[in-house]
Amino acid sequence: MTAAADKRRILRASAAALLVAALVLVTAVLPAEYGWDPLGTGEALGLMGMSEAGETALRAQPGRWRSDAITFALEPFEAVEYKYRLQAGDAMLYRWSSDTQVLFDMHAEPDGAAPGYAETFAKARSDSGGGSYTAPFDGIHGWFWQNRTQQRATVTLETRGYYASATEFRDGREFEYELTGDAKDQP
Amino acid sequence: MKLLAAILLCTLCGTAWGHDLSADNAAYVQGLTGPAPGPFLYLGAKHMFTGIDHLLFLLGVIFFLYRGRDVLLYVTLFTIGHSLTLCLGVWTNWQVDEHLVDMVIGLSVVYKAFENMGGFDRLLGAQPDTRLAVLVFGLFHGLGLATRLQGYIDGGDGLATNLLSFNLGVELGQLLALTIILIALLQWRRSPSFARHAFGANTLLMCCGFLLAGNQLAGYLLS
Repeated sequence: MTAAADKRRILRASAAALLVAALVLVTAVLPAEYGWDPLGTGEALGLMGMSEAGETALRAQPGRWRSDAITFALEPFEAVEYKYRLQAGDAMLYRWSSDTQVLFDMHAEPDGAAPGYAETFAKARSDSGGGSYTAPFDGIHGWFWQNRTQQRATVTLETRGYYASATEFRDGREFEYELTGDAKDQP
Repeated sequence: MKLLAAILLCTLCGTAWGHDLSADNAAYVQGLTGPAPGPFLYLGAKHMFTGIDHLLFLLGVIFFLYRGRDVLLYVTLFTIGHSLTLCLGVWTNWQVDEHLVDMVIGLSVVYKAFENMGGFDRLLGAQPDTRLAVLVFGLFHGLGLATRLQGYIDGGDGLATNLLSFNLGVELGQLLALTIILIALLQWRRSPSFARHAFGANTLLMCCGFLLAGNQLAGYLLS
């Protein structure tokens, strides 16, 4: 084979390799993996929807199941923060209530974020709240409550979920709790 | 031809499944704290053994290596490369986009196939050092391993044990896969069809590399 023919052969083969790969990518892989179907081949081959099939409602949680309750007393204008350590995807159910209206801010601080950085999910004045929470990232996740009334407030928090520890922030100090699943009371 | 069919099939499967650690494995190791050499060793081996991009690259590397000494040399270079970035990447928690790294890994298959087709020699008139290429691409393969492991490893105590276990597992998985590839390749080389189809096989290898790279590029752009 001549050098020129050799070159042509290599070029042709490389172009064919690229073309076939692009064809398979566009006709099959993009629809199946990303739900993007530029040529309509994904629909024709029944590949659409495959990329969503993997997203199941179930997420196995390997950690230990916790169930905790804690009560805080807040003097007028006193504030407390209570946060759980959750890894991304870990879930928690919660319910809190107070005997008087308080200001709350449900937020999370990602690990490694700048000090003071937090992502807020809900912020309002209320005397209760509840719901489910799935951590979008590794970090500490929880609530800030402040009593802006002239009378003492008592806030009770109940949580169930997959967390290992909780941290309380009050008066510039931190209290770390290794949770055992037992109900705790704090005056 | 069977080998060719197998390569294509594996690539399609590999593309479809990716080779992320399966969800159950991931959930399990994420729940671990402290040293867990067993699980991480297993995951490393599994990742390599089921990682079609790594395997195709290895196939490209040893495709025309006839002497055992050369196989050992090139595989060692690849091992040094990927171990270096695997360990450094995880240890320093170096954050790189896994789609982009995996795209380069796909392109490493393209590169090796092009080299095997004589592309550098005939088309460009110059052949870059093949040993250096394997080492450098090994660095990227290691980075790809690191991005996977970073998602699952606990940064606390046990990091060194788990990292080294994973790395050792990777080498075991590689050894196992390489043995199978070598046996198939040696068998194929005995038949006259090897010479006839070697070029075609590398064209197919290149095609698979493009497909892997394209899939990762799509992943980078679309997700």
